[in-house]
Amino acid sequence: MRTIVLGVGNPILSDDGVGIHVANQLKQKINDPNIAIDAALTGGMNLLDLILGYDKAIIIDAVIDNGEEGEVKIIPLSNFSTMHSCNPHDVSLTEAIQMAEKLGETRIPKEIIIVGIMMKKLPCEFGEKLSEKIATAVPKAVEMTLNEIKKDN
Amino acid sequence: MKTITIDPITRLEGHGKISIFLDAKGDVANAYLQIPELRGFERFSQGRRAEDMPQITSRICGVCPVAHHFAATKALDAAFNVEPTPAAKKLRELMYCGYFIYDHILHFYYLGGPDFVVGPDAPPAKRNILGVIEKAGLEIGKEVIKHRAYGQKITAILGGKATHPVCGLPGGVSKGLNKDEVKDIETMGKSCVEFAKFSLKLFDDIVLKNKDYLDMILSDSYTLSTYNMGLVDKNNKVNFYEGKIRVTDQKGKEHVKFDVKDYYKIVAEHVEEWSYIKFTYLKDIGWKGFKDGKESGIYRVGPLGRLNAAEGMATPLADKEYKRFYETLGGKAVNSTLAFHWARLIELLYATERATELIKDPEITSTKIRNPVGEPGEGIGVVEAARGTLIHHYKLDKNGLIDKANLIVATTNNAGAINMSVRDAAKGVIKKGKVNDGLLNMVEMAFRAYDPCFACATHTLPGGMPLEVNIYDKNKKLYKTLRRNL
Repeated sequence: MRTIVLGVGNPILSDDGVGIHVANQLKQKINDPNIAIDAALTGGMNLLDLILGYDKAIIIDAVIDNGEEGEVKIIPLSNFSTMHSCNPHDVSLTEAIQMAEKLGETRIPKEIIIVGIMMKKLPCEFGEKLSEKIATAVPKAVEMTLNEIKKDN
Repeated sequence: MKTITIDPITRLEGHGKISIFLDAKGDVANAYLQIPELRGFERFSQGRRAEDMPQITSRICGVCPVAHHFAATKALDAAFNVEPTPAAKKLRELMYCGYFIYDHILHFYYLGGPDFVVGPDAPPAKRNILGVIEKAGLEIGKEVIKHRAYGQKITAILGGKATHPVCGLPGGVSKGLNKDEVKDIETMGKSCVEFAKFSLKLFDDIVLKNKDYLDMILSDSYTLSTYNMGLVDKNNKVNFYEGKIRVTDQKGKEHVKFDVKDYYKIVAEHVEEWSYIKFTYLKDIGWKGFKDGKESGIYRVGPLGRLNAAEGMATPLADKEYKRFYETLGGKAVNSTLAFHWARLIELLYATERATELIKDPEITSTKIRNPVGEPGEGIGVVEAARGTLIHHYKLDKNGLIDKANLIVATTNNAGAINMSVRDAAKGVIKKGKVNDGLLNMVEMAFRAYDPCFACATHTLPGGMPLEVNIYDKNKKLYKTLRRNL
């Protein structure tokens, strides 16, 4: 089974880059030829391109929600009835997948889950550092991702 | 208070909030679109190595990484006082064509086109690419995917990476092209020309042959006679990568043509207390509020702005379309906001033709791709992003570190016009306090035509695009709220 772990976010937009911080830590903890770990500064169509061909995709991303700030939740993609991504000039991952399915794409991962780090508002300030609350979520997200990978083995 | 919730759509991010103010009769007096603006870029850049700016700025925005990359690279050319080699310029422009190809395809088929192809009255859940495929057929869907990918592949071959290029250096580029890559790009380029021709035909069949659509395009609700701005070459033809900035008036006559280094003499910024976004306007005409016409300094950029600011396209097929555009829509300037979509397809054709020209140029495989840099100083760079004129301005210290950085992005240039378009679309559907249910659609179509770029964070947001319209009565008391996905 081949798995891709993607940290999604903008690394120069403070808390928005949290997924990339998590992916960087995972890179030091995982050494398995069947698991690819990468950072992605993109969403929608481009994100789909990156996960094609894998059996499972784990996407680590900031999620704007009403939950507790810094809380980490595992959410199957199918739980998002609709979802929109970073890019005002792109479609959501859900829409990109629907489109690909319709066109007969066979390489879509069978399982796609989101490791979501809850956030209250859109980060609008440039910076490479995480706020205190979100920084504490990083080890939690690392652990939850590692558990998720262990489950499959 | 009545709240109307409309089904999800997923096409434009940023917490776009629209406030509409009614007059005593209950008609629209004013409307404002509030969008979040990213802050603190200047502080973030200070003290960084100038040559890192093309990589850093390409991360500002998930929409226009290639445009920021080259606006930054060109600002560095100027700041280090170096002219790129002729081959480097051609390689940059070729890569830039790849960016326009995928960007314009994405906008037409996924974001803007659905309103026409599926129909403006279709439920939002249908007005998307899936609805387009349902109507136009699976085969077309496959062609869309294929050619968008070609645009990205051309960009990736030249830029090193598809989404965030790493090739731009002051004085040139870091990577040339080999013969195999040339062959690949040539094949993809030819296919893209055919696809662009097909897209224009599709627009012809579905939109221009439909009288209702044509009437909508030409209606008052979607007409704004502002000045227009865009880069032109020495023959005043549209150019995305270099040239002078030309501004034309409401009749298409040249108002001013200038080098980007004089930008601050020509354009000024106006601040409104309700918005983080600054509104740019022509200094000599002045800021006269959210008004169009000759007396108001507001101008438009982007596909329609560029076509209006030029006298034609530099490639034969696109130039033919350019002439047909003005013949069909009643001569210069075309002031119909919805004509942005047609203009975008004409530019797509130009980008594909220009790519095939450049790839045939014998100099494209030259290894002379970089000139040595001079002493660090100050530099301003300009390119046309897919959605309009983009300017980077840096001041470097003697060690080549960033002292000051300022960016003027396309959506800032269009901000005044976008607000007016939203207001006018609202006027068409709010009469005597009665709010038509089509309001959200009409308003959305008005600002989507500009292909605006809002805040570019890359988080996941459950739900579709949040859009909230608050309508206030003559006493500025909240009268009604329409929203979806908040």
